[in-house]
Amino acid sequence: MHREKVPACVHPETYKYFLDRDAVISTWQRLAARWGEPRHNPSFRTMEIAAPRFTLRATVLGNPITVLRRRECTAADVAELHALLGYGE
Amino acid sequence: MVTGSDLVPRLTMQYEPATYRRRIAGHDVIIHCHHYNARLQRTIEGARGIDGKGILVGAAEVVFGDQLARALRPGDDEVTRWAVAELLYRHLGFGRIDLSRIGEGIVTADSSHFVEGWLAGLGETTDNVCSFTEGYLQGAVHAVTGAAVRVREVECMARGAGRCRFEVDRGERPAVAANHKEPAIASPREPGGPYAKSAHVDEQAIIDAVVGMPMIGDDAGLIPAFSVYLANMPADFYNRICIGFVEAMRGLGRDKAAIRLLVSDAEHCGMNTFRGIMHSPEWDGLIAPMVRDRADALHAIIAISNALGWGDWHVTAHTPRTLALESRYGYEAVGYREYRGLAAAPQCAMLTGVAAGVMELVYGEGTVEERYGTFSAREERCVGCGEPSCNFAVEQVE
Repeated sequence: MHREKVPACVHPETYKYFLDRDAVISTWQRLAARWGEPRHNPSFRTMEIAAPRFTLRATVLGNPITVLRRRECTAADVAELHALLGYGE
Repeated sequence: MVTGSDLVPRLTMQYEPATYRRRIAGHDVIIHCHHYNARLQRTIEGARGIDGKGILVGAAEVVFGDQLARALRPGDDEVTRWAVAELLYRHLGFGRIDLSRIGEGIVTADSSHFVEGWLAGLGETTDNVCSFTEGYLQGAVHAVTGAAVRVREVECMARGAGRCRFEVDRGERPAVAANHKEPAIASPREPGGPYAKSAHVDEQAIIDAVVGMPMIGDDAGLIPAFSVYLANMPADFYNRICIGFVEAMRGLGRDKAAIRLLVSDAEHCGMNTFRGIMHSPEWDGLIAPMVRDRADALHAIIAISNALGWGDWHVTAHTPRTLALESRYGYEAVGYREYRGLAAAPQCAMLTGVAAGVMELVYGEGTVEERYGTFSAREERCVGCGEPSCNFAVEQVE
């Protein structure tokens, strides 16, 4: 997997995480187990999990996942997220 | 005891499809993002020789004093009235204020659209940035108690504080002004156009989806949508601060510079806001499948801006180097007429700047700064001057 920085967003460190195709379902299962089931927006065909320190949003295909950090988000929060996503620098 | 959920129906948004206007508690609200709001604040407060902060605070006081008064009911007790004041702020997307100690003259806020906007869009600051909230609170005190007070921010999250803190000064000051406008300018009855359409972009589907989104503040009172922070701002607020800014600058002989600054802010807004939107999952989910070329992207952007209430504007002609747009009920032109009467010159700085900005975004290359200024826009006719529509012409700069 890899990530790409997204410009002009709510936080300067906003990224889209591109999951490996065979990891999409299991990744969302891990995220849901940690922060709750995703909420769907049928009008825009999107889904999201609103975690305390960031919002995880994707199209209904689940990939890529845009991670919108809140200002309070810490390095430890990001490290936990990366572990769940299976992302390494 | 009245709960927050009991009060929410008072703030239900009413949508007018013919003009794309959104109305909450008796006020037309325009949805803009943190990029625009922070830049506008920086421009007005940063101008030398005028009281820019006073313009922002005064406008918020007048407009939200009026909007909140319209959300109150004759039978509301004081606890309920303060609850409505907290709720309106959060509902519109400005953040979360705590009015539980306002009797002691203290208000705190642990979430703020303007703080988030400033830090995300403009970076760190050494100044407090919540002028808007100061004005909102002054208006709230007036709507709830009838008193005219001064509110001053003494700690700000933008400067690293854990929460923003405001102090209420109940000393002598002039009365709060009324939000006086007349006569109301009715929306046009005859259809406009003809308008250019994309064969691939279903503009109405985009508008329906955006209008159907719950554009209200979350638990923190913020609206993170399309990868930006949105807020429902009364059109009267934008009009009062922009008119006030240009008039104050006119007193220094710099009104043309003021208009150029407002256009520039909107040009950056057009690029930044829609660049964020075009990278958002919402765009990927609904809009990207409709977009086959750059012209399609432009039509989709205009559809979104209409759904946000910007101007009832449509493309009348378009090439990769030029764009012509017609707006029939833009809030700037209509607002100027209602506040000041007929204008001597076009008034729609926001739409003018955005028109250039979206062309720079769609057809330009490179960073925002590299694209800036590569298209120029002018407003050729304006409802503010008594014309039936506002017309904008955009051209690529050679």
